[in-house]
Amino acid sequence: MARKTKSAAIAACMTGALVLAGCGGGGPSAGGGKISDDKVVLAVLNDQSGVYKDLSGPNSVEAVKMAVADYQKKYGDKAVASDIEVISADHQNKPDIANTKAQEMYDRQKADIILDVPTSSAALAVAGVAKQKKKLFIDVGAGTTELTGASCNKYTFHWAYDTAMLAKGAASQVKNGGKKWSLVYPDYAFGQDMNKSFTSAIKEGGGTVQQSIPTPFPNDNFATFITKAASSKPDVIGTMAAGGDLINFVKQFNQSGMRDKATLAVGLMFITDIHSLGVDQFAGTTFTDAWYWNFDKKNREWADRFKEKTDTRPSFAHAANYSAALQYLEAVQRAGTDDSDAVVGELEGKKLNDVFLRDGEVRADHNVIHDTYLAEVKKKSEVNEPWDYEKIINTIPAADAYEPVSKACSL
Amino acid sequence: MSAFIQYTLQGLAAGGFYALAALGLAVIFGVLGVVNFAHGACYMLGAVVSAVLLDVVGLHFWPALVIVPILMFLFGVLLERVFVQWLLRLDVLYNFLLTFGIALVLVDLVKRRYGVSGLPYEQPAGLRGQLHLGSLSLPTYQVFVFAFSMLVCVLVWLLLTRTRIGMIVRASTEEPERTRALGINVNRWVTPVFGFGIGLAGLAGVLAAPFRAITADMGGNFVIILFAVVVIGGLGSVLGAVVAGFLVGLVEAYGQAYASSFSQIAIFVLMALVILVRPAGLFGRQETA
Amino acid sequence: MTEQSAPTAQLEQTAEVAPARRSTVRWVLLAIGLVAAIALPWFVYPPVAMDIAAWALFAISVDLLLGYTGLLSFGHAAFWGSSAYVTGLIAIHVGVPFPVAILGGMLFAMLIAVPIGYLSVRRTGIYFAMVTLAFAQMIYFVANQWHSLTGGENGLQGIPRSFFGIEQVETDAFYFYYAAVGLILLGAWAAWRILHSPFGRVLVAIRDNPARARALGYDVERYKVVVFVLSAGLAGLAGGVFSISHGFASLQELAWTTSGKVVLPVLGGIGTLWGGPVGAALVVLLEDKLATIGFDGIGIITGSIFIVIVLLFRRGLWGTARTVLQGLADRRHRAPRD
Repeated sequence: MARKTKSAAIAACMTGALVLAGCGGGGPSAGGGKISDDKVVLAVLNDQSGVYKDLSGPNSVEAVKMAVADYQKKYGDKAVASDIEVISADHQNKPDIANTKAQEMYDRQKADIILDVPTSSAALAVAGVAKQKKKLFIDVGAGTTELTGASCNKYTFHWAYDTAMLAKGAASQVKNGGKKWSLVYPDYAFGQDMNKSFTSAIKEGGGTVQQSIPTPFPNDNFATFITKAASSKPDVIGTMAAGGDLINFVKQFNQSGMRDKATLAVGLMFITDIHSLGVDQFAGTTFTDAWYWNFDKKNREWADRFKEKTDTRPSFAHAANYSAALQYLEAVQRAGTDDSDAVVGELEGKKLNDVFLRDGEVRADHNVIHDTYLAEVKKKSEVNEPWDYEKIINTIPAADAYEPVSKACSL
Repeated sequence: MSAFIQYTLQGLAAGGFYALAALGLAVIFGVLGVVNFAHGACYMLGAVVSAVLLDVVGLHFWPALVIVPILMFLFGVLLERVFVQWLLRLDVLYNFLLTFGIALVLVDLVKRRYGVSGLPYEQPAGLRGQLHLGSLSLPTYQVFVFAFSMLVCVLVWLLLTRTRIGMIVRASTEEPERTRALGINVNRWVTPVFGFGIGLAGLAGVLAAPFRAITADMGGNFVIILFAVVVIGGLGSVLGAVVAGFLVGLVEAYGQAYASSFSQIAIFVLMALVILVRPAGLFGRQETA
Repeated sequence: MTEQSAPTAQLEQTAEVAPARRSTVRWVLLAIGLVAAIALPWFVYPPVAMDIAAWALFAISVDLLLGYTGLLSFGHAAFWGSSAYVTGLIAIHVGVPFPVAILGGMLFAMLIAVPIGYLSVRRTGIYFAMVTLAFAQMIYFVANQWHSLTGGENGLQGIPRSFFGIEQVETDAFYFYYAAVGLILLGAWAAWRILHSPFGRVLVAIRDNPARARALGYDVERYKVVVFVLSAGLAGLAGGVFSISHGFASLQELAWTTSGKVVLPVLGGIGTLWGGPVGAALVVLLEDKLATIGFDGIGIITGSIFIVIVLLFRRGLWGTARTVLQGLADRRHRAPRD
């Protein structure tokens, strides 16, 4: 379908060879019509082949399709968007490919919104495109607070989580007894942000950070870092490693025998990480979760539907993509058009609730806040069924779960 | 002081592992003159095969330590027969391109079959827990990796210096023309030597399984470090690779302990300095560089 | 390792044709190349066309070193990437038209290439490759650490594309292509001039037999440093265009995987100058197509292509095509006499 649109566009260019205008990709959609091109196109741009494939990837496309089906079922003939298409592309975690694909999706495939986009550099690049093309972008997969900070813009929203929210959730265990912390973080933007957010959140909660240790990224060998982190006898060792590095860290942490002496807190973890390494290696580890499939009946029902389609349980990223697509379509419904400005107007300042967003709200900086959770990984003996890995210890109410609206952001 | 000793021990443990992993790369370059960029992928394959054998047929760590390197040896023989043998007389550049291509294919095949999130692996029986020595405490497995790597390095060294096969292999590395003139069929040794190198990479992979993430990408950055180790030691020098492995392990551990943010660049600074001061690495034959 | 002759030694001999005909062929090729560069955004999505052009020049810069001087640099990301950042910083903070910013980036790349080249060219083969890699990693490290200036891993975002207030160029990738491709063509032309000058002939002589070149009285190291710096300039020019085109510069530009793009000219055929652009077009188009095709085995395809090229078409796509065409032409030429 991508090819069709493209060759049509090329044909149009070739026939109008002397009239150069329009070939570089059209301007913003016409605001007057109800639905531009008679079709609403939702584009999922994410990692479909690399490290984020399992936690989001192709199954997020499925989640978005579920949202489309639910929207169509709910409104039937009354749906403003009668013809809806879901397209996707693999950005391979490369910001340049994300940037080019985003342009192509908006211009040639007539996407009205782009969803997901993990990897902060790629997300920021797509936010720039959204701003220029005046089309919507809802980021789910990236963690940087820049999206709703200095790089915020009118058309970009940040849905599921960010580094500040992860820190606030994890720091909530200070009041459960984890006062003294050592932090180990990978020395690049994500890790540096996490380290900063964690340090201030822990201090606010009344705890102390004894050490902050930067590590290379990527890194295989954490032995020395673990020894160093343990040397100050902390209650909690926090690691900001993610993906393969996180597995390296956890295996070596367990071998070092530190597991009996300190709690391990992980900065960013998805349920797919626990699944791949095995629940035993993670038992007792705490982390902030944006959503857990087995939290209540409502989540579970949705997760069952998800499992029918994908044969696996959803991560919070899958649920967040569903929620983002659904709330976008609801906003189109309220606005009566897919015109970007009108839809943005229907989202801004709204209180939203669905299977993912509990007490959700679209803030002035376009950060979509909601209740978050401090989770602990179960012991193997406590697991009752596959993917039943988490105990929710604290619920952090939306109002306390995020940093206040950033002063750096002006839309 | 005890912290310093602890870091030193950790550096030696990491170094032993680097030495073992780089050994195969050094042997292959020494004998075949082939720069094997697929070495990281073969290391990955060793770990993945261990994890899969554990999952499917319940093959545990100890037997895997013997069986997986043999499988990888056979795989290496296959690679040499199908692809690498055509490279022997070509420029290093083509080595790089071909073995890089092989690595890309292997990594993606594993990704498609076993996913991207990694495979689980158990802690080997008998190697759990820690060893305590006064105030020091080291993971038992780390100590084992160090001792085992040393053993393998020494065995390879004996093989190369004390056996007839080793003599021939070394002779064909250092004086290929003269060895040929003496009526020894150098080419006959090329295939088994390549297989041997790949087997060593596989062995490193088995050792990695209990303490590193088993993912398709695990060899990607690792191979760059291994190249640095081999170049620092001097291309083709087996002793050099071992010494450089320890050097890199120690530099890394001290860097991590005392200058954390600089530890990621330490190995490259070390490599640049060594190449600039000693053009053919620490143990390479200097006159030919 | 001895000072070895480069793998391209056997490639050049294909050009032993009558000088007059050779020069005609050369001009025809140049014309075709020019037309291809101009027509590209009509057939390929313009931002992708820009990527092809930028990587084509990068491949030419690598070929200048590898194919014509016999030096395999594994650290060219340093020049591509540092220029991408410096270009972006100039565009953001000074606000000059983008060609001026790119010029600044290019000059910076050449500036850092002087010490790197001076230290590296004394080594050959793999040692040269690894020492250039080490320097590139150090620059990567600096860019990652200097968060306040470069944005670290998040990348340097929001690089403007100012061009004398001409709005189409500033906002529309199609017009921007024509504004920027001139710089790429200028770079390619410079490479062509360098190679067809006396200086270029000395380079080839150094590649084929360094000892002999030295005996003839050429200061081999100095020639190598000069061509290293020129090559860095071209890579920098390409990197600057890339960052303006995308509107950001990221750490990926400085990573060793970018240096790994030395495979581009090898795919196309080294020592041919045209091979680089051919290889770049192939890889960029492949990456672009595979992103939407829903097949998650990009490495299987690109890896297989590398293997096939090395085993069957060692002269690269362009090199093989040229040999075949020349073979046909020669046969036709000789036919009456047979």
